[in-house]
Amino acid sequence: MNQEQIRNLIDAMASSELSELEYSEDGCTLRLVKQGVSTSSARGGRGAGDAGAAPQATAHRTNECLAPLYGVIHLQPSPGEPLFVQPGQRVAAGQTLCVIEAMKVFNEVRAEADATVAEVLVRSGEEVEAGQPLFRLD
Amino acid sequence: MFDTVLIANRGEIALRILRACRGLGLKTVVAHSDADRDAAYVRQADQALCIGPASPSLSYLNPSALLYAAEVSGAQAIHPGYGFLSENAGFVEQVEQAGLRFVGPSAACIRVMGDKVAAKRAMRRAGVPCVPGPDEGLPDDPQALRQLAREVGYPVIVKAAGGGGGRGMRVVRQEGELLEALALTREEARRAFGNPEVYIEKFLLHPRHVEIQVLADSHGHAIWLGSRDCSLQRRHQKVIEEAPAPGIDEALIASVGESCAAACRQIGYCGVGTFEFLCEKGAFYFIEMNTRLQVEHPVTEMTTGIDIVQQQLRMARGERLAIAQADVPCRGHSIECRINAEDPDSFAPSPGRITGWRVPGGFGVRFDSHAGVGYRVPPYYDSMIGKLIVHGASREDALDRMRLALSELQVDGIATNVPLHRALLEDESFATGGVDIHHLERWLQRRSTP
Repeated sequence: MNQEQIRNLIDAMASSELSELEYSEDGCTLRLVKQGVSTSSARGGRGAGDAGAAPQATAHRTNECLAPLYGVIHLQPSPGEPLFVQPGQRVAAGQTLCVIEAMKVFNEVRAEADATVAEVLVRSGEEVEAGQPLFRLD
Repeated sequence: MFDTVLIANRGEIALRILRACRGLGLKTVVAHSDADRDAAYVRQADQALCIGPASPSLSYLNPSALLYAAEVSGAQAIHPGYGFLSENAGFVEQVEQAGLRFVGPSAACIRVMGDKVAAKRAMRRAGVPCVPGPDEGLPDDPQALRQLAREVGYPVIVKAAGGGGGRGMRVVRQEGELLEALALTREEARRAFGNPEVYIEKFLLHPRHVEIQVLADSHGHAIWLGSRDCSLQRRHQKVIEEAPAPGIDEALIASVGESCAAACRQIGYCGVGTFEFLCEKGAFYFIEMNTRLQVEHPVTEMTTGIDIVQQQLRMARGERLAIAQADVPCRGHSIECRINAEDPDSFAPSPGRITGWRVPGGFGVRFDSHAGVGYRVPPYYDSMIGKLIVHGASREDALDRMRLALSELQVDGIATNVPLHRALLEDESFATGGVDIHHLERWLQRRSTP
């Protein structure tokens, strides 16, 4: 069971009316529970932490800036240079928030509207999934 | 004589080298980055060693990590594949100093060919036809420079001696632009290649890209294995290649091919290599030599029946060339489409998980790829996920077979350029054969402005 499968299950569950889902494959069992206490667990599988919190996260994405593609995120133009944005900073629509590198191509991620950066949800150099929240904007 | 080869590369070419080694009874060690640890070819190797994190500069481009991997695994030879450290003379020296065999030519040969002015000089001396223009450093005097460019004839192209692969060049159409273009290219070259030397050549307007594959042993023998046409390019990246180059006089190709083999003997070249030419109005002009295995080598394998990678390994083992020039056939026609994980319209890269994978097959169809269902195309490297190669009795036959094969090929979960290939195979000019190197860019331009 890999992270993407788990994510797909989470997405499927979030868009359904299911409140509980259990999935087994190759000796790994993943149990997802919507709402209430985070009781979900994955035995012998990776991504247990993600699985517990994510169903709620997918339901409230209105103020989040999501990764448009799978790649490596860079929060600064190049090593040693200042960050594109910092928590608490005002950003204008169209301003570059970060860059996602995929196969030697650098894709700029821009703010859709004027906002304040409330939280940076990823670390520079990490791999991010398409649709993964990168920033919380207010 | 080595019996274990460290494969210092990744993806389809790592698998191709692995297969060639197995065919020769050699053991394999795959050196892989953290991002490639789950790839199927890594498990197929006799040994696999993680040499560093995903970032190429910390793994596939890290000489110390590769040398250490060779030492701990007991490999006595390193195959560099293409890209990464394959044309890095400094790395070759380190490999040799460590008492290992580099599967490729000597550091000295790589160095000569890496300096485009020195390469041109060496090629002229060996009788290889070159682009009009001097093969020595340019004069400082502006008047002498103007005179020189006038003799070459406008338009001219200013190129960085340390460049190559389409980088570090600028076209000058009239005399007024010459000095500024020289200064700009010098500065770019100094920054990009650490070498400010530039040179001037005649700029050809509608050339084709035609190249000659060579094979040389370490005992002074060299042969050429036929021609390839790689004119379908986008931003200097080849998209479709074929062998032989269509519509070129056989006697002309033979004389150019023979001059390439002669050049190999003259510079003491060993292994496989490719002489790249521009071809315009029935004349050939040398542009550069690739001192390594190339992506498109399979089309030549299909038309000659020679396993180029096995031959490369044999040459590195010090064997004598067992194939005479007269025994190199050119049977039928072969075409290769590079299958990339990218949007067929915008060319935006599309890494990610492959959820569906249907590969074409049947007579005359070959698919070289390391990918499959469940494989996750990593975002760290280039976008090529496979090569679809067909062989036919004639060029028409090969084109028909490629159309069928492309209709069978299906990749789900990520975007690929398969739809682009399908459309290109319907292009009338390409089907006729002999389009120039700007054809694809013009075709894309037309497509985007209906």
